[in-house]
Amino acid sequence: MHSLGRILSEHRDAVIDSWIERLRDDRGAGVTPSASPRVLRIELAAFLDALTAFFLSGIEGTEDSFREVASQATIISSARARDGYTPAQTATLVMSLKPVVSAVIQREAGGLSSELLETLAHLNATVDRVALVTFSAFVETRERLIERQSRALLDLATPALPIWRHIVLMPLVGIVDTQRARQIMEWLLEALTREEAHIAILDVTGVPVIDSRVALHLTKTVEAARLLGAKVIVTGISPDAAQTLVKLDVNLTSMITRGTLRAGLGEAFRLLSADGQAPPSKAGF
Amino acid sequence: MTTPIGSERPDEAPLETLMFRIIAEIDVAEARRAARHIAGRHGFKTVQAYGFATAVSEIATNLVLHADRGGVIHLTAALVNGIPTIGFTAEDDGPGIPDLALAMQDGYSTLGGLGCGLPGTRRLVDTFAVTTRPGEGTRIACSLTRI
Repeated sequence: MHSLGRILSEHRDAVIDSWIERLRDDRGAGVTPSASPRVLRIELAAFLDALTAFFLSGIEGTEDSFREVASQATIISSARARDGYTPAQTATLVMSLKPVVSAVIQREAGGLSSELLETLAHLNATVDRVALVTFSAFVETRERLIERQSRALLDLATPALPIWRHIVLMPLVGIVDTQRARQIMEWLLEALTREEAHIAILDVTGVPVIDSRVALHLTKTVEAARLLGAKVIVTGISPDAAQTLVKLDVNLTSMITRGTLRAGLGEAFRLLSADGQAPPSKAGF
Repeated sequence: MTTPIGSERPDEAPLETLMFRIIAEIDVAEARRAARHIAGRHGFKTVQAYGFATAVSEIATNLVLHADRGGVIHLTAALVNGIPTIGFTAEDDGPGIPDLALAMQDGYSTLGGLGCGLPGTRRLVDTFAVTTRPGEGTRIACSLTRI
């Protein structure tokens, strides 16, 4: 569709101006007052140039030139996804190009003709296609963002702290799912080796519910620690959890459990002195 | 059809109903949290709320592990003879439970679990009903009356 491409390149600056104007007038569109006018103009210009090249590239437009349009749309869309725009605002930004370009074309053609209708239909179809690209790019960016955040949370949530010579404390906070359980085991075993610890205290006060799945993960962790010659004391099982675990008939006899972290620490000291290690009164850091 | 176990409590007009699509572990966590909250909202003590949340967790975990396309959990709260009662149903169109009597035994597990999911859940609730058809799916309905 050469004529579309020609019109766009001839009226490039006018199209960009009226596009920006339109976006500023439309409250639902993808421009907030805080958005930098210069950045917006650069973004829109790059997108429009790619689109113009696409229309100039042949009757149907080549796939290569559409890829360039899609990549510009993706850049605009990803930036908006990160900046907290809504999907609707982002879609509106691209869709609002339709009326802007239509107006220019109709002014040029100076009346209804079948050629004009065909040109407009082609414009609409192309912009719709770009809108779909924009939408998936938006979602993709958000998903990557969520994934990054949850990974960051995961790293944050499981510290293994050497609280005394030979004693490592790992407070568990949050949901213990399969991925988290694997990480807990990995980090605990790593800390046990690094600190040459004999005892690990796993505090589960911050785990919302201990069901059989969590119990299974705990059992495996305890077993793995035992293979390294370390004992695990599980603390922070609430009275509610204890009653529920008994009804579930979960077998936790393989691990030492204490109600509170304080009681767990006491037990850890007792085990240390029973092992002939330095008692807490003499042990230091 | 495998012989069903237990019978469902007849439907009462629910005070509230929440629906959860269970596909992955994160969905289990969400249903579990909601279960605890619904119990709390209707005046259940924390120990009952904890037990109810655990029951939901066990069954929802089964949906993730055994029903290939997951399933749906409904949490409900209703007044039964004037007494607050919470319950849940879990439905899936997974492979069904081939031997229900065996699956209800303590310590029986096909995937290396602890084998206390179904029997344990039954002990945590007041009414417990399972219907399952091989190749067609499973429906589990439980309820718990406020003490």
